[in-house]
Amino acid sequence: MENVVEINKDVNIVAYYFRQGAKRLRCFPKKMEWGGKSVVFTEQGLRHPTRKGARMIHVFDMTDGSADYRLEFDAEQLSWKLVYIADQAYGPMEPEYAASHLAAAH
Amino acid sequence: MQHPTLQLPINRAEPLVMHIDLNSCFATVEQQARPLLRGKPLAITNRLTRNACVVAASIEAKVLGVKVGMTFADAKLLAPKLIMLETDPPKYHHVYQILVNIMRSYSPNVIMKSIDEGIINFSGTTAIINQRPLENIGYEIKKRLKDEVGCWMRCNIGIAPNRFLAKTAASLHKPDGLDTIDHTNLRKTLSQLQLTDLSGIAERNQARLNACGIYTPLQFLDAPADVLRRHVFKSVCGEDWYKRLRGYEVGDFESSVKTVGRQFVLDDMRPSEETLRSRLAYLCETTAMKLRYKGLCARGIYIYLLYAGGDSWYERRMFKSTFFSNSEVHRRATLLFNRRPRGDWVRMMAVSCYALEPSNMNQVSMLDEVNREVWLTRAVDEINNQFGEFTLTYASSLNAKSVVKQKIPFGSTRYFELLLNRA
Repeated sequence: MENVVEINKDVNIVAYYFRQGAKRLRCFPKKMEWGGKSVVFTEQGLRHPTRKGARMIHVFDMTDGSADYRLEFDAEQLSWKLVYIADQAYGPMEPEYAASHLAAAH
Repeated sequence: MQHPTLQLPINRAEPLVMHIDLNSCFATVEQQARPLLRGKPLAITNRLTRNACVVAASIEAKVLGVKVGMTFADAKLLAPKLIMLETDPPKYHHVYQILVNIMRSYSPNVIMKSIDEGIINFSGTTAIINQRPLENIGYEIKKRLKDEVGCWMRCNIGIAPNRFLAKTAASLHKPDGLDTIDHTNLRKTLSQLQLTDLSGIAERNQARLNACGIYTPLQFLDAPADVLRRHVFKSVCGEDWYKRLRGYEVGDFESSVKTVGRQFVLDDMRPSEETLRSRLAYLCETTAMKLRYKGLCARGIYIYLLYAGGDSWYERRMFKSTFFSNSEVHRRATLLFNRRPRGDWVRMMAVSCYALEPSNMNQVSMLDEVNREVWLTRAVDEINNQFGEFTLTYASSLNAKSVVKQKIPFGSTRYFELLLNRA
């Protein structure tokens, strides 16, 4: 079982915005300040929209390489919330799960 | 009159049906969302309890023997390092929407069979698409899925003259395969498969076929339609299989909604009367929501109870008037529920509405109480749409709301939008 720590608190985020061709502006939350600490995100897993009543919420699943973070951006209030931190006690990837091994298994 | 024996050659038509299947969809989407889970055995369940069953397993978990339908406890025995996560419907819906958009950009004839698989029929598409080999389009779809969702997303693609063979082709090389089955390689492909590899053939159908001396898909293909119809399946299904295996389309029709309902396995092993009524109120409320979401009203209601001892009880009733509001579904369901046999603990309960008709909510009634009910229902729905589902709800169903969770629908995507509002 994973260690999920629910936070549900507003946080400060520094975000980058990118334009890719004709697509809409893409947001990448780069840095988060929360509880006197700052976290620099290295990768965005998935961004997906969801609704809370009529409010549009954009959910960002981010990682800094050692833990997964779920952030929510409220498009109406323009506020960022840290929903949870999945503190990974998973350990390093094991050789039996490596791509070469899986390909051989199939 | 004796039924004429059906004799058809293998369909030599160009393969224009493409089946797209996301690999271990929910697990892959979770791994996409959370990079630290990639390469780890992961299983997705609807509820994080020991006896909840696995609804999706990652490729890494499947290698270790974890299968869909297994309980969490059994899966954990096979793979002690298995990570179990609860379903997150908005995430899957986002990926589903992207997949649908990609598919619709190639042909308007797109059918989603479930959340993670769909079919594109390329017959009649514009020349600019038709002049390209479908394999190229398949690889382009794979690339677009990676670009638009993320690098971890993979899908199997199968191309064939009909939907059944396209699905079979998509399951040949998992994960991330792309295969074509047409008249040139049909026999060769089937010779490499077992009967249970065919979609729709599980243990029972296999036993039926074996009883008639059919042990391989090739023997199944060579069996006459008459034998399949009269001796193996003893119904028109035999002829359907005869056509399906030869690459002809079968069952290409849209079915309409006949019933709308919900069911729930009780969380309490010895539920009190109060608990049962609270769960019933919640099931009625969500059933009525589904009815209105589909723009329907019902005339019949059905209650089913399964008891701890294994006995079951059901009762149904048709009413003269139609109904669609939460209170009316609840009132009529309670009438039946009160007649249930007592003496054993209820394990599962289900509420269904049938005899469905298009909703008459927009029709102003001559009866004032009917109008008031419509206005009240509309006002409650508006408030709930604005501020989130169950902002206004029955006091009796309040404690059920935190317990009865809407599960991710496996087959149909009919209620996906409604489910997301509630998620």
